[in-house]
Amino acid sequence: MNVQSPNISRDRRVISQLDEAAVNRIAAGEVVERPASAVKELIENAIDAGASRVEVAYASGGMSFVEVSDDGTGIPTAELPLALSRHATSKIDGSDLLNIHTFGFRGEALPSLGSVARLSIETRFWEEDTGAAYSVEGSVATGPKPCSRVRGTKVRVADIFYATPARLKFLKSERAEAKAISDVVKRLAMASPKVAFCLTDRTDGARKLLDVPVETGALPVALAARLGRILGREFTQNAIWIDAERDGLQLYGMAGLPTYSKGAAVAQYLFVNGRPVKDRMLTGALRAAYMDVMSRDRHPVAALFVECAPELVDVNVHPAKSEVRFRDAGVARGLIVSGLRHALADAGHRSSTTISGATLGAFEPERPQAPVYQMETRRVPAGHTAPMPGFAEASMLSGRVEARSADEGSYEPEEGLSPSTLPLGAARAQLHENYIIAQTTDGMVIVDQHAAHERLVYETLKTRMAENGVAAQVLLIPEIIDVTQEQIAALEAIAEDLARLGIDLERFGGNAVCVRSTPAILGEVDAQAMIADILDELEAEGASVGVEARINAILSRVSCHGSIRSGRRMTADEMNALLRQMEDNPMSGQCNHGRPTYVSLKLADIEKLFGRT
Amino acid sequence: MKVNIERSDLLKAMSRAQGVVERRNTIPILANVLIEAEGDSVAFRATDLDIEVVDKTNGMVNQAGATTVGAHTLHEIVRKLPDGSQVELSDDGQSGRLEVKAGRSHFSLATLPKEDFPIMATSEYASNFAVPAPTLRRLFDKAKFAISTEETRYYLNGVYMHSADGPDGKTLRCVATDGHRLAQIDDTLPEGAEELPGVIVPRKTVGELRKLLDDDDVQIAVSVSETKVRFSTPQITLTSKVIDGSFPDYARVIPAGNTKRMEVDAAEFAAAVDRVSTVSSERSRAVKLSLDEDRLILSVNAPDSGAADEELAVAYADEPLEIGFNAKYLLEIASQVDRENAVFMFNTAADPTLMREGSDASATYVVMPMRV
Repeated sequence: MNVQSPNISRDRRVISQLDEAAVNRIAAGEVVERPASAVKELIENAIDAGASRVEVAYASGGMSFVEVSDDGTGIPTAELPLALSRHATSKIDGSDLLNIHTFGFRGEALPSLGSVARLSIETRFWEEDTGAAYSVEGSVATGPKPCSRVRGTKVRVADIFYATPARLKFLKSERAEAKAISDVVKRLAMASPKVAFCLTDRTDGARKLLDVPVETGALPVALAARLGRILGREFTQNAIWIDAERDGLQLYGMAGLPTYSKGAAVAQYLFVNGRPVKDRMLTGALRAAYMDVMSRDRHPVAALFVECAPELVDVNVHPAKSEVRFRDAGVARGLIVSGLRHALADAGHRSSTTISGATLGAFEPERPQAPVYQMETRRVPAGHTAPMPGFAEASMLSGRVEARSADEGSYEPEEGLSPSTLPLGAARAQLHENYIIAQTTDGMVIVDQHAAHERLVYETLKTRMAENGVAAQVLLIPEIIDVTQEQIAALEAIAEDLARLGIDLERFGGNAVCVRSTPAILGEVDAQAMIADILDELEAEGASVGVEARINAILSRVSCHGSIRSGRRMTADEMNALLRQMEDNPMSGQCNHGRPTYVSLKLADIEKLFGRT
Repeated sequence: MKVNIERSDLLKAMSRAQGVVERRNTIPILANVLIEAEGDSVAFRATDLDIEVVDKTNGMVNQAGATTVGAHTLHEIVRKLPDGSQVELSDDGQSGRLEVKAGRSHFSLATLPKEDFPIMATSEYASNFAVPAPTLRRLFDKAKFAISTEETRYYLNGVYMHSADGPDGKTLRCVATDGHRLAQIDDTLPEGAEELPGVIVPRKTVGELRKLLDDDDVQIAVSVSETKVRFSTPQITLTSKVIDGSFPDYARVIPAGNTKRMEVDAAEFAAAVDRVSTVSSERSRAVKLSLDEDRLILSVNAPDSGAADEELAVAYADEPLEIGFNAKYLLEIASQVDRENAVFMFNTAADPTLMREGSDASATYVVMPMRV
């Protein structure tokens, strides 16, 4: 046993307790990684102090300073030095770490900041007559000494990381840091509609970046107003209100309509008990909820709030509390998916207003060449592969518009089909053998007949599949797929779901699974790739929609072939039948790829076009 | 080069050539056919780098030479020429054009240098033997429906040709499977094939080979090495790389213990399956077979569009059984039966089912059930 690792040095170093400054710097490394994290800690402190207005200012991306002032309770003069020592907090008494109602509780923010930056505090406790100032620089405190402050606390963090130059090097550009700060402020502002927020960039002069007042009204109203201010009016106009509850978890918030989407998963916000968190579970849950109504390269916009008893969620996972752990992640995910799906189904008829906006925009006289948004590039009626200039006019003149099927004879516009009772109105004409024009009580609706019918066929196929179950094709040569132990466990956990989808698998030795059957509808499949996809999804999102998505893709292709083509003339009865079916079907507002199936124009909008308002 | 060829001879040669040439090519020369005139014959050579076909046609060679020209264009031209015409192909070796003349038609086609044309390297063949065309036709025709199209399992994308131990001694055996069904076809092992290494003949080669097998009286010379296989008639030589992979141990999945025997007229069975599956619009139409004594009921149930059933008289003497299959799979194996009744051997509704043509043990089919 004389063999010694060359790394072990003969003269052993002595184990000694690090001094407090070093401890604080190490802790600061976890809590404060950039100016934005300082802002986050300070705003949370302000909200915990009962502030009704929080003002944030910074200069040079927060590298020169960040400043957060509030009108909360303030800190008693006598407690100021203690506030800056580690693990000192007024927020919990330490007896119950599971029952946390405030943002902060670790007692790390102020001492951490004090150890890496020049920290100064001005505060006035609401019961005291004068304010107090206190500052810390390199763990050396000055004060408290009296100062003039009307109420609340102002914390200024200057020259961040001056004490830890290594970390300074890892900061990004001023712009990136400034964006991170504004991101943090926005997230926190979304979560607290009853607090006013103000963000100012004081790099040169004072530029106000955000100024939102206290929102009034009940929670849904106030929250919607606040989300509108932060994410833009367009979002709230094109979003639906979500409200669901399950097993002690409550979900509310707003989610964008499928027709209002983004190219990247940038505008997805999750708040757990008012705390903004980043959780991969959210991305997965949103994807699953929107799977059917949005193509895979588009991403929904959503701001979702989960409320639950503090003991159901562990926020003490990450020093900066940007991650949480649910006691039962499956319930949280299920709640989000089903809550969203129900709300989306209810709202299936609403196409986003940006679309009718775009349509109207396309009509505007100053840019007559603008395409009527996206449809026409895609669906050129059969036989009209090269729409010549003047084609539209020619066809107008040829009189298909008037058609309203006068030639078909059987159609009487007044025969009990009063638009008043029908959301999609009564069909009045078919244009270019692809677009149905219907009249509603307060406007008109343009329907893409192919997209709409495709969706209807797809929904029927899916319902049928849900009723009959997925047939499984047993494999002649079972596929043996090498996976890790954890992956086997993950697959076994969802074995029942997989069996429902036609995939039978079982453990095969220690490091492999054996696939005995695959969904018959997929024909000959590469089971190995399919299992790999499922595992990737399980790992990334905690659940897998891959198999279902594949099956749906097949159904979608089948439905495309089984539906009315563009370029088919329809009689008035057929058109009305299609409109009625669309009304009955909750998901008919968009085609399988998330494109709208119809656009609705309000009479008022049309009047605007003619300057009649 | 200057040659005169009968239109019908040229058409035959060109249709073989353009079968090999891929429609879309990134290497321009691969879209061409190499024409070599020498002695009293003209050779047409086409390749996609995996398969090479050389077709020697009789022709009047006025001036020997060689050039390459777009295969699809030449094929189209010849196809559209009137039957019975004489076609003259000439190339002065300088202008970079091949002149095609027939009657009053004249075409001038761009050529590429013959030196650029890739010639497949010759290899040492381990086994050389001759098989009558009808035998080879049966071996491949009956197996090819089961070839897999799933490209990730490339080793199933062909027919596995090898020598095996059949019930009556050594056999030349062709096997194909796509993981859902399997076909195993045997014939007596020809002389000289004892050393035959097992090779997987790619799907495309199987298709091209079929064009060589129409004439019943022809003996096909087969040469096989570890990496290549060659089929030739006196006129045509088809050389192909084989799939580099190992074919799964198929013998394990052929059930030996299936005891429930059903005998049915294959044509009647196929027609009935086809009829009942009409009501289902799904992509994988499932047909249920319900067996009772000497009675088979085929049924399809598609709740939205309807249901269908048909009763067939069969020979069956075992306990009742219900088992589901993909209709397409049943149709495809039933259509392999030429003269005899189809004999199905079942075990349970989840186990592989075996099918034979009457008492003939030289063709075995296996199909997996579907769980509905």
